[in-house]
Amino acid sequence: MKKIGGLLAIFAIVFLFAWPVAAADIKIGLMCPLTGKWASEGQDMKNIVSLLVDQANAAGGINGQKIELVVEDDAGDPRTAALAAQKLASSGVCAVIGTYGSAVTEASQNILDEAEIVQIGTGSTSVRLTEKGLEKFFRTCPRDDAQGKSAAKRIKEGGFKKVALLHDNSSYAKGLADETRQELNKAGVPVIFYDALTPGERDYTAILTRLKAANPDLIFYTGYYPETGMLLRQKKEMGWQIPMMGGDAANHQDLLKIAGPEAAAGYFFISPPLPQDMDTKEAQDFLAAYKAKYNSLPVSVWAVLAGDAFKAVAAALKEGRADPEAMAEWLKTLKNLPALSGTLGFDSRGDRVGEFYRAYVVDDKGAFKIQAK
Amino acid sequence: MEQFIQQLINGLAVGGIYALVALGYTMVYGVLKLINFAHGDLFTIGAYLGLTLLVSSNLAGLLTPVGAAIAVFIMVSLFVALIGWILERAAYRPLRNANRLSAVVSALGASIFFENAIMLIYGARVYVYPEFMRPDFSIPLLGINVPFMRLLIIAASVILMVCLWLFIQRTRMGASIRAVAIDQAASRLMGINVDRVISLVFLIGPGLGGAAGLMVGIYYGQIDFTMGWTYGLKAFTAAILGGIGNIPGAMLGGFLLGVTEALAAGYIAMAWKDAVAFLVLIIILIIRPTGILGERTADKL
Repeated sequence: MKKIGGLLAIFAIVFLFAWPVAAADIKIGLMCPLTGKWASEGQDMKNIVSLLVDQANAAGGINGQKIELVVEDDAGDPRTAALAAQKLASSGVCAVIGTYGSAVTEASQNILDEAEIVQIGTGSTSVRLTEKGLEKFFRTCPRDDAQGKSAAKRIKEGGFKKVALLHDNSSYAKGLADETRQELNKAGVPVIFYDALTPGERDYTAILTRLKAANPDLIFYTGYYPETGMLLRQKKEMGWQIPMMGGDAANHQDLLKIAGPEAAAGYFFISPPLPQDMDTKEAQDFLAAYKAKYNSLPVSVWAVLAGDAFKAVAAALKEGRADPEAMAEWLKTLKNLPALSGTLGFDSRGDRVGEFYRAYVVDDKGAFKIQAK
Repeated sequence: MEQFIQQLINGLAVGGIYALVALGYTMVYGVLKLINFAHGDLFTIGAYLGLTLLVSSNLAGLLTPVGAAIAVFIMVSLFVALIGWILERAAYRPLRNANRLSAVVSALGASIFFENAIMLIYGARVYVYPEFMRPDFSIPLLGINVPFMRLLIIAASVILMVCLWLFIQRTRMGASIRAVAIDQAASRLMGINVDRVISLVFLIGPGLGGAAGLMVGIYYGQIDFTMGWTYGLKAFTAAILGGIGNIPGAMLGGFLLGVTEALAAGYIAMAWKDAVAFLVLIIILIIRPTGILGERTADKL
């Protein structure tokens, strides 16, 4: 009797474990910073991608197959990212979405490439990531040099004559500042000030005092929103009226909270657009679903670009390209896929194609307002 | 000249905060010879608690903003002091007789625990203090406009430090703290309750750290769960600069570090600000290995 009981138990266990395998799920990996400094970005990325996965599964899956999302935390740290990539590589995923930060993405690139898995970077704008000739690396975010060109164009159109460039020594912000400086030199707009601040601090008055002495007519700070907010706030406290501009790392609603509506008014930046600023059907549908599930609006464009990455993978799977080799080949021919931040396509290097930078201005009430193209 | 005075005041305000946080490091080191790495996170807890009290208790509605600020100030200091006391009980007292490395590892563990606890409780997004708390006017001083809050921060940190100094120098409890810092075994023989003195140190240091966190929150507005790291590192540097274990040294070190940073940012290059500050630290440590006011261990505190 005991034997039969044991046998039954073994059958039960085998059955339990075997059942999900029989459904032949497709596994997709998501690598994002769920802890550490960029935890808020990573949690948004997870929210958005899992929402899209749930939607796809509720609609019967892709070609009848359910999607299973495997999430790994990279803590915004290159060493942890290498571990996360190894875990994902051994978990049988066909594609990995993420992650936030060029240095962090770079730490995972070769591991995933050797494991022959498609990777779609989402907040990885450093130019060199797609210059290495990795066959299966793509990104839904634009490159820094594209942004530098766009920024220089705006500065020139704005008629500014004495530009102060400020970055935070991160490879992203420095890259953007360098790229902009080059473009401005070509266009004949003088850069009279170029320096870096230390991110993560609270007091930037020493830097602002020095900037004021240089007397520029525009400050372009290429770093992230927490420092931008502090700069705006302390600039107002000094009673200094000068236009300030930012790059896409400023595109976060928390900037307005940090700076306060008065200090933020007039600040402008260039960025890929958020879904709430888009009138396409995909953006509006996504927004409705996001609101219904999380009762808030997405605050960061980078998390939305993770959603775009899922759209690209889903489109490839729909074409029956579940094998990473075939998927990468197909993605390189992808053009004009309707996605959350506009139409999506990749070139032969894996970079996103098309100009999709838009200008945002903070209005008098302290809200981001997108400018017409 | 105008720019120089401006930078000096910028530096003093930053330095005041460094000094307040540095006191926590230096007091604990003076008594236990332990670097309390969790101190920066107690500072962060102060900032978060202050925000919670201000937003949820509607104190500002019941009292004037000034009254609310003072009430919150006292509550935050008391609460963070309590957390400091619990920290000592849970993480350091069981290791009192173990070797010093174990206690340092325990301190690092406590720091990681606090940082992640704050993230799990409050979330990873930045929080912002309500705007109405900030007096938004400037006072003309020496030909430049100085924001009132900046002067208030410098004044508040100096007042807190003077109170602490008087407490240590003039009271019986202060004398027992000094005695324990010099020689624990002898103090015990003299009838001093060493455990109670250590608990007291862990009430005062974190209390001041929590108050500094609140001041940063009210003035700068933006708080996040990693802020304790930057301030903790700088304050620790300030404590070493002034001579670790020495209370006036921590105050001096804090102000000196703040002003050095501001002047380096203003006259050399912003990107080199921290490098210059640490260069000054190295030069001072080469000339005086125990820090500016650091003397024989027997005279510490």
